[in-house]
Amino acid sequence: MTRSADHPLLELAQVCFRYPDGSRGLDDCSIAIRRGSRNALIGANGSGKTTLFQQCNGLLRPQSGGVYYAGEAVDYRRSGLRQLRSKVGMVFQNPDRQLFSASVLEDVSFGPLNLGLDIATARQRVSAALQAVGMAAFADKPVHNLSFGQKKRVCIAGVLAMEPELLILDEPMAGLDHAMQEDLLAVLENLYARGITLLLATHDIDFAYAWADRIHLMVAGRCSASLPAATLATAGDALSAAGLPLPGVIELQHRLAKLGVLPSDAWPRRIGDLLALLGTRQASGMPRLERRV
Amino acid sequence: MLIERSAYANRWRQVSPAAKGSFALAGLIAAFAAGTPMVAAGVAAILVAVTLLGAGIALVSYLRVASPALAFLLLGSLSLAFSLGIDEHGLTLQWLPNGLNPLANVLSRSLAALAALLFLALTTPLPDLINLLRRLRTPEILLEIMVLCYRMLFVFSAAVQDTWIAQTARLGYATPRLALRSLAGLTANLTLQVWQRANDLHVAAQARNNEGPLRFLAPVFAHTGRDLAIAMVAGSSLLALAVAMS
Repeated sequence: MTRSADHPLLELAQVCFRYPDGSRGLDDCSIAIRRGSRNALIGANGSGKTTLFQQCNGLLRPQSGGVYYAGEAVDYRRSGLRQLRSKVGMVFQNPDRQLFSASVLEDVSFGPLNLGLDIATARQRVSAALQAVGMAAFADKPVHNLSFGQKKRVCIAGVLAMEPELLILDEPMAGLDHAMQEDLLAVLENLYARGITLLLATHDIDFAYAWADRIHLMVAGRCSASLPAATLATAGDALSAAGLPLPGVIELQHRLAKLGVLPSDAWPRRIGDLLALLGTRQASGMPRLERRV
Repeated sequence: MLIERSAYANRWRQVSPAAKGSFALAGLIAAFAAGTPMVAAGVAAILVAVTLLGAGIALVSYLRVASPALAFLLLGSLSLAFSLGIDEHGLTLQWLPNGLNPLANVLSRSLAALAALLFLALTTPLPDLINLLRRLRTPEILLEIMVLCYRMLFVFSAAVQDTWIAQTARLGYATPRLALRSLAGLTANLTLQVWQRANDLHVAAQARNNEGPLRFLAPVFAHTGRDLAIAMVAGSSLLALAVAMS
């Protein structure tokens, strides 16, 4: 066993994958996910995000290159896949494509029972998972009467109940209104605090910058850059190569720093933080913008 | 959908499905044990009263759910009322050749059986029924098909609704000719979706480590023993009443 903290939790090394119809999935793609980190994967539609996720969970097998979990090459035999899938949980984009059973409790219990857990443990896992996503009151409700956001949370609970080390979410914010996004964010924050490594796909660079520890850019089936979010301000080139703008808050901070309103070494990640910073600067009598008419 | 709504929102939702199932079964047997049409009608009336007053199902919903079955029943009875025969006068149509009795018998028994089934259907959600069937050792493959069909029913009714609205918004059903065309499009589209969805579900099942049978936790009902005892007493009283009165 070579498992140690030095290895990334999950690593794809030069993975190539083409679908049977010839369309490109991944092209020499390498990416590493550190244990206990929050990762955002950003890329245009068709850039290979979903294919990459399916490689992580062993749903697809690389045609060349390798997938490593905790430093060990993934074993694609039945028992190896079982092992991998019990550690890497995957939440699909469309909840209706993931939910099997018509009852919330039943669906969440699907994964734990597949792991071969006994009924009592499965029951306990199900209730803990529903609790974690704030859906405990809905356990015996039918799935088809839930809202989109609630279904999404049931999907997450269904994977959480398997107690994965790495949770992969395919565009979790898609289709959610602002309030539901905030709720989901709180759920993710809670999971992160429990030590679960998170990897999610998004189109929203502002959200990725505010939330993630590391940002991975996908372009044409390849991970073109993996950046610590804290250094994103200086990574404009990598972003524009992926067809992405700098996050709005960085642009604003640049301007304000140029105008001398804010120091150039402070990098608030959210607009709220930037406003708070501005507030404290104003209160302490720093130079203000002259009003120009 | 009405059945679905009643099944989830009735006073006896938390009563053990085994208890409700036994009572319904007792109702079915009583329907057949009833010797005269009056007794069978009485059994039907009791079952309807239990459903409406006990489980708290609204009369309007009850009638709406029952109406297709009732219509079918009436049509069937009507055909029993006539008899087609060939005698020396050629082809003849006879009205009630054996008197009213056989007709009344069939009609009242069917009504009682219908009331027993409606009692179960309107008070017990399908997932609970499936779990009950699982405990009764129904073959797993049938149960899996039931689970998937039940879930997909809602997924596809939503898909049909969406496609239909999208077509209507672009005048897809403006003329009979267009309507036929749109309907064909809808069917074709749905067929493809069935294919894709099946594949998606397979992938999603694999992602959650599924390698064979679909297994789920069954909900727990707090007072199964008590409920079952009450159902047994009520069911056997109904049965005894039906037998005694005949």
